[in-house]
Amino acid sequence: MSTSGHLVLCVDDETVGLQVRRMILERSGYKVITALDGQSGLSLFESHPVEAVVLDYAMPGMHGGEVAALMRERKPHVPILLLSAYLGLPPEITSLVNVYMTKGEGAPALLEKLGSLFQN
Amino acid sequence: MNLNQLNRILLQTLLLPVVFLLFVAGLLVWQVQNAERTVEHIQVANQNIATANLINALMVDEETGIRGYQNTSNEIFLQPYEFAIGPLEDAFAKLRAGVTAEHGDTQPIDELVAAHQRWVTTIAEPMIDTVRKGGNTRDPGDNLRGKAELDNLRAISGGIIDTEKQENALAVQRWQTQVSHTLYGVVAASLVSGILIGAFARNRLHAVTSAFQSTLIALRHETQSTYESEQRLLATLTSIGDGVVVCNSEGCVVLLNAIAEQLTGWSQQYSLNRSVHEVFVLADETTHDPLENPFDLVKRSNCLTSTLHAFLVQREGSELQIDSNGAPIHDRFGTLIGVVIVFRDVTEQRRTQAALMASEKLAVAGRLAATIAHEIHNPLDAVVNLLYLMKSGSTPEETQEFIQMASAELDRVTQISRAMLGMYRESRTPVALELKPIIESVLVLLERQLANAQVTVKSILPDHAIVTGYPAELRQVFTNLISNAAEASAPGSTIEILARLVAPRGRSLATARAGVAIVINDHGIGISPADLERLFQPFFTTKGEHGTGLGLWVSQGIVHKHGGTITVESRTTPEDPGTTITVFLPRGEAELPTS
Repeated sequence: MSTSGHLVLCVDDETVGLQVRRMILERSGYKVITALDGQSGLSLFESHPVEAVVLDYAMPGMHGGEVAALMRERKPHVPILLLSAYLGLPPEITSLVNVYMTKGEGAPALLEKLGSLFQN
Repeated sequence: MNLNQLNRILLQTLLLPVVFLLFVAGLLVWQVQNAERTVEHIQVANQNIATANLINALMVDEETGIRGYQNTSNEIFLQPYEFAIGPLEDAFAKLRAGVTAEHGDTQPIDELVAAHQRWVTTIAEPMIDTVRKGGNTRDPGDNLRGKAELDNLRAISGGIIDTEKQENALAVQRWQTQVSHTLYGVVAASLVSGILIGAFARNRLHAVTSAFQSTLIALRHETQSTYESEQRLLATLTSIGDGVVVCNSEGCVVLLNAIAEQLTGWSQQYSLNRSVHEVFVLADETTHDPLENPFDLVKRSNCLTSTLHAFLVQREGSELQIDSNGAPIHDRFGTLIGVVIVFRDVTEQRRTQAALMASEKLAVAGRLAATIAHEIHNPLDAVVNLLYLMKSGSTPEETQEFIQMASAELDRVTQISRAMLGMYRESRTPVALELKPIIESVLVLLERQLANAQVTVKSILPDHAIVTGYPAELRQVFTNLISNAAEASAPGSTIEILARLVAPRGRSLATARAGVAIVINDHGIGISPADLERLFQPFFTTKGEHGTGLGLWVSQGIVHKHGGTITVESRTTPEDPGTTITVFLPRGEAELPTS
C-alpha cells in the first residue's frame, strides 16, 4: 500500500468521524487536512496542493455532490472519493466522482479504494 | 269573511226592513192625517150648510111672525119673530166662525147680516110699530118692498148654502183622491221596499255564501297542499341515502326509512310505535358500553345534536360504525313534538380513513428512514474505524480515548433507535405522558433534517407538561409539524417551540379544560389565505410530488381524537413572514405511572 505522503483533503460535518478518519489516513502515511463543511473544504482545496479528496455526501448547506462538481470545475484532475451514509445515491452524483462508497464498509476498504486512486 | 263581518251583515238584513217599514208607516200616518183634515173640512162644510138652513128657517119664522101680527094685531102671533131674533144672532156668529174655519169668504155673511138688519130696521120694526099704533099696514108699496128685501135675503143665504155645498163636494172629492193616493202610495212603497229588501238581502247573502265558498275552496287547497308537501317530504325521507328514524315526543317510532330499516335491521312495520330505545341502540366505539340515545340527547338539549364514532347495535346484535345527528321537531308554539334521527354507515369511510392514516404513517417513516440511516451509519462508521485503529495497535491512553469515543457514538445510535421505536410503540389505551421527552425525541430524529436545512430549533419545554394520549401518535404529529416548519424555513432561521401549561378558565368548551398548549413558530414563507383554508383537507399539499397531502389531515385527526385543538396562524408580510401552529392537548384523566 502506497504511503508516499500524498496530501488528502477530508471533508465531513461529523466531528468524531472526521477525527477518526484522519487518524487512520495519517497512520497509513497520508498527509491530511480537514474541513467541517463544503465551503471551507473548497477554499482548502484551492489553497493547498491537494492530491485526493475524501468527501462526505450529507452535509448542511452544500452537499457532497455540489462540492464535488465545484472541485471538478477547478481542478478536474484531482480524484475524489465520495462517502455516504445513504445507500443508492443518484447516478448523476456518483458519476461525478472517481470512487463512491458507503460509510461503515470499514477502514481497510477505504484505504484500499483511496490507494487505488493513486495507482491510476 | 270573519265573524264580525258576518254579524254586521245579519244586522244589516234585520235593520233594513225595519227602516223601510217605519218609512212606509210614516207615509201612511201622514196620509191619514191629511185625510182627517179633509174629513174635518167636510164636517165643517156640513155644519155650515145646516147653520145656513137654520138661518133660513129662522128668517121664515120671523116673516111668519110679522105676517101673523100684521093680520091679527095679536101679540101672540109676533112670538115666532121675537123667538127667532136671539138664535139668529147665534147662527150668524156660528156660520161666520164655520166659514172662517174653512178659510172661506165671509163677505156674503156680512151682506146677509146687513141685509137682515136692513129688513129688521126698515120693514119689520116699522111694521110692528104701525100695528101697535093701530095704523094701516096694507100699503102695497111697503109690502112689495118687504118682499123684495126678503127675496134678497133668501138669495144671499141660498148663495151661501150653494157655496158650502160646493165646498163640501170638493172636500169629499179631495178625500177620495187622498184615500186612493194613500192606497197607491202604500202599495207602491210596500212593493219598492219589498224589492229593495229582497235585493239587499240577496246581495248580503250572496256575499256570505261567496265568502263561505272561498273559505271552502281555500281549505280544500290547503288540505291539498298539506297533503302534497307531506307526500313530498315522505318521498324525500324514504328515498334519501341516509337512515332516518322519526319518533314522537314520547320516543315512539313513527317512521323508519328504507336505509334505516336496512341499517338497524328493524322493518318499518315492526318498529312502528315501539320505543326508539329499542330500535336505535348506540354503543361506544372502543368500550362497547351503551351510549345515550340521540332522542334523549335532543329532548334534554332541545337542539341539534350529533354523535360521531359510535356503534349502532343492529337488531340481531351485530355492530355497525355510524355517525348520527338528532334534531328536534317543534310545533308552531315551540313545543317539542318529535325527534328526527339521521345517520349513516361510516364503516367503509372509517376503513378508508384508517388506510390513509396508515399510509401517511408509513410515508412519515419512509421520509425518516433516509435520515435515520444516515444517523446510524455515521456513528457506526466511526465505531468501525475506531476498532480498526485499536486493532492495528495503539497506546493504552489512545485505546482509552477510542473506547470513550466509540461508546459515545453507540449512545447516539441507541438514542435514535429508541426514538424511532417510539414512533411505532402502539398503546391500546391512552396514558398520561410528559410532552418534554416526546418532543425531544422527535427533535433527535429530525436533527439531520434540521441540520441539512440549516435551521436551529429553540425550544422551551417545561417539566410536568402532562397530557393524556397515545405517545406514538403524538410523536407523529410533532414530527409532521416540526418537519413542515423546517421545510418552510429559510437557511439560518430558527423555529421556536414553546409548551406551556393551560389552567382551566371560564365555561367555554375551548378553555374550560386544563392541558398543555404547544406553539410551533417558524419564520418561513408563510401560508397564503387561500391555502390556509384547505390546509387540513386530505390530499392538499404545497410540496408537489414530495408530499402526500395527508400530514396535517392526519395530525388534526390525531389531535381531535385526543380531545384537543389545532390552529394555524400565518403571516405573509414581507417584513416578518412565518407560521404559528398551536396544538392544545387536554390533561385528561389518566394517572401518571408511579415508577
